Amino acid sequence: MPRREDGPVKDSNLNLNGLTFLVADPSAYFCTVIHGILRSFGASKVLETRDARGVVQNLTEHRIDILLLDANVPPMGGLKLTKTIRRNEASEYRTVPILILTSDTRATTVKNARDSGANMVVAKPLSPSSLYDRLAWIAFNPRNFIDCETYYGPDRRFKIEGYPGGVGRRKGDLPVEISEDTGPALSQDEIDNLLKFTRG
Amino acid sequence: MADNNPDAKVFPVDSRFQQLARRPGGIPRAQAIERAQAGIDDIKQTFGDWFDKELDGIVVALPHDEKGYAKTGVWLDVVLMHCRQLRDVGTTMGHELVTFIAGNFCEVLEAIKAGAEPNPELIQLHVEALRMSKQERYKSTTPADFPELSSGLHKLLSLAKAGSEPQGGS
Repeated sequence: MPRREDGPVKDSNLNLNGLTFLVADPSAYFCTVIHGILRSFGASKVLETRDARGVVQNLTEHRIDILLLDANVPPMGGLKLTKTIRRNEASEYRTVPILILTSDTRATTVKNARDSGANMVVAKPLSPSSLYDRLAWIAFNPRNFIDCETYYGPDRRFKIEGYPGGVGRRKGDLPVEISEDTGPALSQDEIDNLLKFTRG
Repeated sequence: MADNNPDAKVFPVDSRFQQLARRPGGIPRAQAIERAQAGIDDIKQTFGDWFDKELDGIVVALPHDEKGYAKTGVWLDVVLMHCRQLRDVGTTMGHELVTFIAGNFCEVLEAIKAGAEPNPELIQLHVEALRMSKQERYKSTTPADFPELSSGLHKLLSLAKAGSEPQGGS
């Protein structure tokens, strides 16, 4: 699987032609803003919805390539919706990339977003560069998926710099040292949150 | 963590998004961001009118007398919704102060949801601060430019949160 480890994601161009985005956010104005941003990035199609019901409906009616979910999307919120999508064994969207959009960047929220199976958390208010770099991160750093009793989603250990005390290995893990990943320039808070999480 | 479960199934996923987004071509990063910023600059012209509607939504939803300020109720959800929307786009539209004040207001409202006693005066102060923050002269300013306002709002937030802590608030 292609993996861009030889340089920062910043240098990678995204080709979003032919891809369909679905944005779920209760604010029409925010959707207008993010719609414009994604189209500027070259996205072919950006669909919008205000609630979880609209997400389900769009997933049924369209071929969606990536989901951007607000953490507060009514009625259940983006995290619970992510978990629902990941846990649905019959769904073809079980492994679709999901970005959570949230103003709440506290460690617990980021941790909960990752536990729900989200690929990435993007802090609001967002800037074009922060969104671009996180989309590039997802595109150029595909992660394995984990399927077990309590979790279904991307491997949450992607920031790990080694196994503490030899614990935490899986049967299939190769006996190699994992180097520090070179990802997009996350804010310090986000990095802290992610590191706390992966080491927790 | 479940990912450390030795019996977990691990498998590669290379989604359609990932496959297509990595294709050569596309818009170079710098150009894509520049185009997006130009688009945002166009939308900024509508920010003032949109802000006024959101603030009106808050003012209309607020109870008219102290008896109407219950810890739960429609007013709280409606005001919180408008407040979140202001917080979520203020900085993107070049109004960092709007995001800061709305963010503080959101935390006050969330504290009330968590059990704190609603303080109408404190809520009204946030509404007035929001009204002020939209003015053109405060555009492109940051909370650091107004340390007294920032510390004042933080103190108000602490007061609001203090009432919710016994119920397990922040």
